[in-house]
Amino acid sequence: MPVAASAIYFLNLRGDVLINRLYRDDVGGNMVDAFRTHIMQTKELGTCPVRQIGGCSFLYMRISNVYIVIVVSKNANVACAFKFVVEAVALFKSYFGGAFDEDAIRNNFVLIYELLDEIMDFGYPQNLAPEILKLYITQEGVRSPFSSKPSDKPVPNATLQVTGAVGWRREGLLYKKNEVFLDIVESVNLLMSSKGFVLRCDVTGKILMKCFLSGMPDLKLGLNDKIGLENESQLKSRPIKSGKTIELDDVTFHQCVNLTRFNSEKTVSFVPPDGEFELMKYRITEGVNLPFRVLPTIKELGRTRMEVNVKVKSVFGAKMFALGVVVKVPVPKQTAKTSFQVTSGRAKYNASIDCLVWKIRKFPGQTESTMSAEVELISTMAEKKSWTRPPIQMEFQVPMFTASGLRVRFLKVWEKSGYNTVEWVRYITKAGSYEIRC
Amino acid sequence: MAPPPAPPQKSPSPSQPSGKSEVSDLKLQLRQLAGSRAPGADDSKRDLFKRVISYMTVGIDVSAAFSEMVMCSATSDIVLKKMCYLYVGNYARCHPDLALLTINFLQKDCHDEDPMIRGLALRSLCSLRVPNLVEYLVAPLGAGLKDGSSYVRMVAAVGVLKLYHISAATCLDSDFPAVLKSLMLTDPDAQVVANCLFVLQEIWNLEANKSEEASRERETLLSKKIVYYILNRIKEFNEWAQCLVLELVAKYIPSDTDDIFDIMNLLEDRLQHANGAVVLATIKVFLHLTMSMTDVHQQVYERIKAPLLTLVGSGSSEQSYAVLSHLHLLVMRAPMLFSSDYKHFYCQFSDPSYVKKLKLEMLTAIANESNTYEIVTELCEYAGNVDVPIARESIRAVGKIALQQYDVNAIVDRLLQFLEMEKDYVTAETLVLVKDLLRKYPQWSHDCIAVVGNISSKNVQEPKAKAALIWMLGEYSQDMPDAPYILESLIENWDEENAAEVRLHLLTAAMKCFFKRPPETQKALGAALAAGLADSHQDVHDRALFYYRLLQYDVSVAERVVNPPKQAVSVFADTQSSEIKDRIFDEFNSLSVVYQKPSYMFTDKEHREPFEFSEEIGNLSLGQEPVGNSPRYDESDKDLLLSTSEREENGGPSTNGPAASGYSAPTDYNSSLVSLSSQTQSETAISDPGMPKYTSQMTLAIDDLLGLSVSAAPAPPSLKLNPKAALDPGTFQRKWGQLAVSISQDCSVSPQGIAALTTPQALIRHMQANSIQCIASGGQSPNFKFFFFAQKLDGPPLFFLVECIVNTSSAKAQVKIKADDATASEAFFGLFQSALSKFGVL
Repeated sequence: MPVAASAIYFLNLRGDVLINRLYRDDVGGNMVDAFRTHIMQTKELGTCPVRQIGGCSFLYMRISNVYIVIVVSKNANVACAFKFVVEAVALFKSYFGGAFDEDAIRNNFVLIYELLDEIMDFGYPQNLAPEILKLYITQEGVRSPFSSKPSDKPVPNATLQVTGAVGWRREGLLYKKNEVFLDIVESVNLLMSSKGFVLRCDVTGKILMKCFLSGMPDLKLGLNDKIGLENESQLKSRPIKSGKTIELDDVTFHQCVNLTRFNSEKTVSFVPPDGEFELMKYRITEGVNLPFRVLPTIKELGRTRMEVNVKVKSVFGAKMFALGVVVKVPVPKQTAKTSFQVTSGRAKYNASIDCLVWKIRKFPGQTESTMSAEVELISTMAEKKSWTRPPIQMEFQVPMFTASGLRVRFLKVWEKSGYNTVEWVRYITKAGSYEIRC
Repeated sequence: MAPPPAPPQKSPSPSQPSGKSEVSDLKLQLRQLAGSRAPGADDSKRDLFKRVISYMTVGIDVSAAFSEMVMCSATSDIVLKKMCYLYVGNYARCHPDLALLTINFLQKDCHDEDPMIRGLALRSLCSLRVPNLVEYLVAPLGAGLKDGSSYVRMVAAVGVLKLYHISAATCLDSDFPAVLKSLMLTDPDAQVVANCLFVLQEIWNLEANKSEEASRERETLLSKKIVYYILNRIKEFNEWAQCLVLELVAKYIPSDTDDIFDIMNLLEDRLQHANGAVVLATIKVFLHLTMSMTDVHQQVYERIKAPLLTLVGSGSSEQSYAVLSHLHLLVMRAPMLFSSDYKHFYCQFSDPSYVKKLKLEMLTAIANESNTYEIVTELCEYAGNVDVPIARESIRAVGKIALQQYDVNAIVDRLLQFLEMEKDYVTAETLVLVKDLLRKYPQWSHDCIAVVGNISSKNVQEPKAKAALIWMLGEYSQDMPDAPYILESLIENWDEENAAEVRLHLLTAAMKCFFKRPPETQKALGAALAAGLADSHQDVHDRALFYYRLLQYDVSVAERVVNPPKQAVSVFADTQSSEIKDRIFDEFNSLSVVYQKPSYMFTDKEHREPFEFSEEIGNLSLGQEPVGNSPRYDESDKDLLLSTSEREENGGPSTNGPAASGYSAPTDYNSSLVSLSSQTQSETAISDPGMPKYTSQMTLAIDDLLGLSVSAAPAPPSLKLNPKAALDPGTFQRKWGQLAVSISQDCSVSPQGIAALTTPQALIRHMQANSIQCIASGGQSPNFKFFFFAQKLDGPPLFFLVECIVNTSSAKAQVKIKADDATASEAFFGLFQSALSKFGVL
């Protein structure tokens, strides 16, 4: 039995119920109390997102200042349940327009009840696609699209769509200007040892699209990934053009992508949903271009003084630049006084996170910058010796750079009316968890 | 819909309205609006409805406004209707008379021309859950299943399941399952098909125990025809329905290898689906299909690795936890296949501790000759982690790796470095590990002892660590010059030592040290024995007395007993039986994997308690005494959480006495102690008339033995038990799960027996003498629980399984018998009963 959720609760951080929806009778009404007393008010909170109390299992996750709790009485499919919560939140967000928090829930609770009624029946997930649900549940609560009374927007064949046969796109869309926006967003994860070895490094990327296209267009996307290129060269019996090819470790696609065609022809072809969506996700572990090198030296001088010296080098193209670079260097709790010297940006001591925070708004490629700091500590008796240093963490965004080297080679749009489209492609690399041990 | 929300007095939050006056105010306003056709009336209704719903959400009882809400429900505004449906659904169950009021308008809405309203009304109608209104459900449901709109059909399909849960008989009598089945195979809409599928699955699963036909139907769902029909349409289903379908396919038993490869080829692309739940469900299908083909199975592992690792890295930490749990399971099954992927299991600083914990366990499992150095280096980084439990866990991980490797040289050095970190918890964990290491690799004692000897016992506070240190002091006192003096100072502080474990070790260590260095230790040993004899803890006292007498008797004998030459431990016992691991694997992609126990251990109330015992069966086979580990009873008060309806469902079938309803789980000793004894008596009273029957049968059996067959009817064959019957715990457990209870009876135990039953051991020995073997036991006075088995001497190996709960205060035993051959169980019960009643007399 996949999920069969018995109930779903939305609680705020105090444990007040914002929304409760009981789908099945097999759990009691005092489930919230159980959650509050056994999980929220104990140290258990945060130790594990799946907990059993009595005969029931609680699967919970915190999203901004709200806890969403799914209660099941049987052996449920955990991955499905969490995914359901994530998708439901995305759905709510698309209705409220952005934020999902306690206030948004309080302001829209009737809508949420309406949605909860549709997206799950008797504990089984039904249809969660916002494109379809928006056809018949609107924030204004207008009449149903099926009603025989004339409405301003006729929806052809909506019954079929409600139940999701061609879930992601409705017919009859019309735009004056046909545009496609494509963003490749990569986050690069790094774990570097104190000796400067890369322990672990990977890139998780996603391709986000925004489509404003009329009719039922067919799109085809070409990337410089290895499988796609090799396949193409085989088809055209031409040698591979010189240039870098990227080996993707693993790819997942939005449901609109024709997976059979991807597997046989290795091309990403799809009929896109209207508006914004995530076309594909991928992961790369080989040949990652790290945008920054960090060289820290930290000296502990006696028990009350520390010298911190951090050099950051940008190793991407000289014409590019990184934005919002933040380097966080952890220092002991008993830090009393700090003084800094930086070659660019600003540095200060943030006592609430026990870190020296060095911010550089704009960091050009192929340059380096250093921060040296002196830290004075209060001498205490409690911690006798070794202070184990947490890793240095780094945040940044590098526009027009991909750590994987992935590029869009072509994006073709084909529609039977044969209109012209404007395509926009952007790249950006962000820091995922960029940790350097020191 | 729901049991009543908490009454107002239970939610005393000052910011919320207190209830009464607001509700009556709302009632008044609703009544005024009820008939109003004025423009804007809908808007004010909406505001009022919103208020009602928000009160309902925070737990204020607004059921008083029921009739007003129903009056206002005559509207064409769909949002108002939805709110009204929600309200009605919430309160109908506890106000069945009022619910009748709503039937009318819901039925009317079921005929609305708008399919949306038809669907919503039908859904609400089925959600009323009032048993005496089911008759009103049948017709609209039947119409709904034939509706032209797929939305209505989809709702109606789930409605059938709701009806089934209110009144299974009505649902089956109306022949809805058959309708669903044909709908499933013919409907053009994928969601309707999916809903039919899960409804049928759930119904037949629940019915399968009751009727042959149902279990046949359940089998048909898994037939090649249906599975292929649905698989071929899989791309039409939405992601959630795909999860359902894949779950079904995972249970399908393929006819041949072509079958297997067909399905895998068809589903290969599902591994690229954006929804992790679909990917995981596909992985389950792949793993289960290839179980019988070892090399393909291994290829599957290789194939699913990449998608799994991607899933771990994407999504929230809760999602990655769910995936990691599955990866953990696979890693534990085939650590070799993951040994090159160890870097994926390195912990990020920002990972939550539940993720880190799983990663540490995986790193431990996959360590082999090629990667141990890197893994141990990484683990050592975590030893200084801010998160103390994780730091401890990583030290333990290093130790575990050391215990499973041959080349431990470097690891021992690392461990010894931990001791120099001078953090209390690091030292504590390391000491325990060093102790275990020395038990396995005594050859390292020299290096270890040099470092351990430098640790001041004052810095070690945790009992386990202290005990480990003391054990080493005793074991290696010849190599540690200070050992006798450290022990002496520890013994001086005997009274301040709270943990009995430490005191026990102190006694033994003092003895060992005494044998090696008598003159230096004699005084300390004397003090230890004196302190031990005066100790209030029974075990400590007994051990001290035992040592004392042993020394009195003969010192050399004492040395042979207390300090014999030891063999190095080769393998430390695994805590989980492989059978349990297999069951978890069968339940891939479910909570079982996260909890790391099979589902019957946490869902099935009938079994939850007995199988707490059967976990101990595993211990039994390792030669440990199950008696000491008293089972956990804390479940019992938590069970109170479950709603009463479920309680009754579970209590119903297992017991049938008049006092049965209050007695839900048969093993909640602590909470239901009173009801247990009273019920036992009442049940005996009922069963008394039945007793002569058994005795007559018994005499028959005896007559038969003597060749005096008096009865013309075939007398039950005489029953002799195999005195050397053997059954392994796993088989017992499986049989217990499969077989039905053939006899459930109460019998009495003689007073002498009760007196003899100071420990469960006494009864176990007695029953053994009667060819009835005990497989597990537990409990504390006055309640003891036993699992017995016996085997028929002649013919095929037929087993009898017994669960016996003895209550010493009422001198009664409750016996449940399950048998391979149910016809022989009466005769066996006779034997068992006579053995039980003779208990203590022999």
